[in-house]
Amino acid sequence: MNNIIRNCIYQGKNLFRDGSFLFWGMTYPIIMAVFFYAAFNGMMNVNIEDINIGIKENKGISNILEEIDFINVHKIDESEVSEKLESGEIDAFVDGNLNLIVKKSGINQTIIKEVVEQIKQILKLNRPVDGSEFSVSYVTGKNQEANSIVVIFYSLIAMVSTYGIYAGIATASLVQANLSNIGIRINATPLRKENFLIAGVIVSFLMNLLANAILLLFINYVLKIHLFNDIKYSAVFIILGNLFGVILGIFIGVSNKKSSNTKTLIAIAVTLLLSFFSGMMGPWIKVMLDEYIPFLNRINPVSIITNNLYRINLLGSTRSAVEGAIMLLFYCMVFLLLSYVFLRRKSYDSI
Amino acid sequence: MTVFKYFLKIAIKNRWIIIMYVTIFFVMTVLNSNDAVKREESFVESKLNIGIIDNCNSELSNSLRKYLEAKNNIVDTMEDEDYIKEQIFLEVADAVVIIPEDFDEKVIRREESVLVYKDDRKPQSIQIENQINKFLAFANITYENGNFALKDVAEALNESVEVHVLPSGEIEGSGINTWFKFYFNFTGYVTIALYIAVIGVVMSDFRDENIDSRRRISSKRFLEFNREIYLGQLTLASAVTITFIIASIIFMRENIWNVYFLKYVVNLIVFSFSILCLTFLINNITRNKHAITALSTVLSLGTSFISGVMVPQEILGDKVLAVAKFFPTYYFVRVNESMINSLSDIGFDIFMQLLFAVAFLLLGLIFSRKDLLVQ
Repeated sequence: MNNIIRNCIYQGKNLFRDGSFLFWGMTYPIIMAVFFYAAFNGMMNVNIEDINIGIKENKGISNILEEIDFINVHKIDESEVSEKLESGEIDAFVDGNLNLIVKKSGINQTIIKEVVEQIKQILKLNRPVDGSEFSVSYVTGKNQEANSIVVIFYSLIAMVSTYGIYAGIATASLVQANLSNIGIRINATPLRKENFLIAGVIVSFLMNLLANAILLLFINYVLKIHLFNDIKYSAVFIILGNLFGVILGIFIGVSNKKSSNTKTLIAIAVTLLLSFFSGMMGPWIKVMLDEYIPFLNRINPVSIITNNLYRINLLGSTRSAVEGAIMLLFYCMVFLLLSYVFLRRKSYDSI
Repeated sequence: MTVFKYFLKIAIKNRWIIIMYVTIFFVMTVLNSNDAVKREESFVESKLNIGIIDNCNSELSNSLRKYLEAKNNIVDTMEDEDYIKEQIFLEVADAVVIIPEDFDEKVIRREESVLVYKDDRKPQSIQIENQINKFLAFANITYENGNFALKDVAEALNESVEVHVLPSGEIEGSGINTWFKFYFNFTGYVTIALYIAVIGVVMSDFRDENIDSRRRISSKRFLEFNREIYLGQLTLASAVTITFIIASIIFMRENIWNVYFLKYVVNLIVFSFSILCLTFLINNITRNKHAITALSTVLSLGTSFISGVMVPQEILGDKVLAVAKFFPTYYFVRVNESMINSLSDIGFDIFMQLLFAVAFLLLGLIFSRKDLLVQ
């Protein structure tokens, strides 16, 4: 036990002094979060705005339009139409024959078209109408805020929770004589490799968890984006993500004889690709995959974390949580067993 | 030309970085080219993506469904609240309409008859509510002797108004223009990432202490060495920029006459020059490969996010744009996004990019002189 604690302290100091861990593990995720925030903040806060209609003065239609809640009527002269449309002051202009002039196609223009059309359609229907028919609402609305862009943040958190992969690779190379000088020394001494490996896993796991905590605090208190409503369930997935990352790193570290640079490249490619599929570069990629290859996002570990984080925190649903957690634990077990198979009884004829 | 030859050799050794960025760029371009359709000269109604679940299956509910189907795009859904909420949250569907079993009776009693999941903050929620209320109000108006005159309703709802779109020179928002804007904006990101990463890594090899010492005692004149280095940088940068320009012509060969193509080409060349000067500055600040890779990632992604490469400038906040003005990418994007009649319209933004180039160059020279003095 003492050995493990001592190894933990040494490896922890080593990792903390490593410039690339400090940058890629701690600073880079914060920089990414700032960029995402700068770019997407405007898209996350949608507020419904009134629709502006231009109309010639003294037109009877203005009374009907003015009664509609979401419409602002601007009485303007026909000579000003182009200017007001160009400046965006009005979305559309209704002329004397109930025809529209617009600058571009869009949702506001379509809504205006449907409202104005209704007047013509009532005439066409040719039935007595007293007006009360149109004050009835036949719709029971259930509100669900749409905010697909926030998936990017959950995906970023999911990605960095697997960043323990790099520390995992470094730990694996420490106990292999063909990969590092320390590995040679450990293999030549009666020191137990397992202690070193266990200490490495603990340190990688805790350091990455610390990096995650700093990122989450930064997002919550500095950027003021409140992503977590259910800390308990969310923590389970972030911890499982960390565990998965470290174990996958060890697997990549021990399963081949490539150089440490190549292994890091493999790790970058794997985490980036899995995050890309889970929607980090834009939720539309995730949506597209969900439609055509739904199976992929159910087995992609980063997607499992991303999906569960937004379901738990924004949709209040924990239905897929158990399946997701079991899946991640299954991956951890498989990679741990495979790593063990690669590591056991390894001896070197010459180094 | 030994230095020049080796500059290119080392650059080719780092071909994986080039291949990676160029692949990302072209994948994004191909994904985006689906939107590049024809010029939009007439009004196009905005269709919503809606899901419909009809539990009633009466004549009235079928007519409502057909009406909504004609006006909107239908997406698959299922009667499961969690599933529907996720569809709305992810914007797969703008609304999901559930028609209950006792739909007809509720309509006749003028009660709330359909359940609609939607985001109340979006204009799409007004649109779907309007469509449903209009259809059911019309149906109720025609209700007589226990029957709806749904044929009359359908006929009346076919009545429409004419919509005229204001003519303009280049048509903003048209598919082709959007494609060119996206394509050339995105070249901005790849140019920064590639120039800094590749040229930076090659330069850090050349400025390695041992190699630097060997160069100093060699017969190679410093001026000649520098000339060959800059020629190498220029060759590499030109190759990258020309590849992007030629690729855009290949992708959109028939449509380049429909946009002000020269604007994009001039803008990209000026921007590339500006970034080459930025690379010069970075190379004079650090020779550490890890720092160069980090700077390449952070500067390319960072300036792209805040300058409007990834999302349009209109969506970005004023504060963000105020910061973005301190980078040439902001002016580069502004030119790509502008609608112009002649090249003189973009004079200011081009001038600003050149100004940045000069500033980077001067700063680079200051750092380089400091470095020489230290040595």
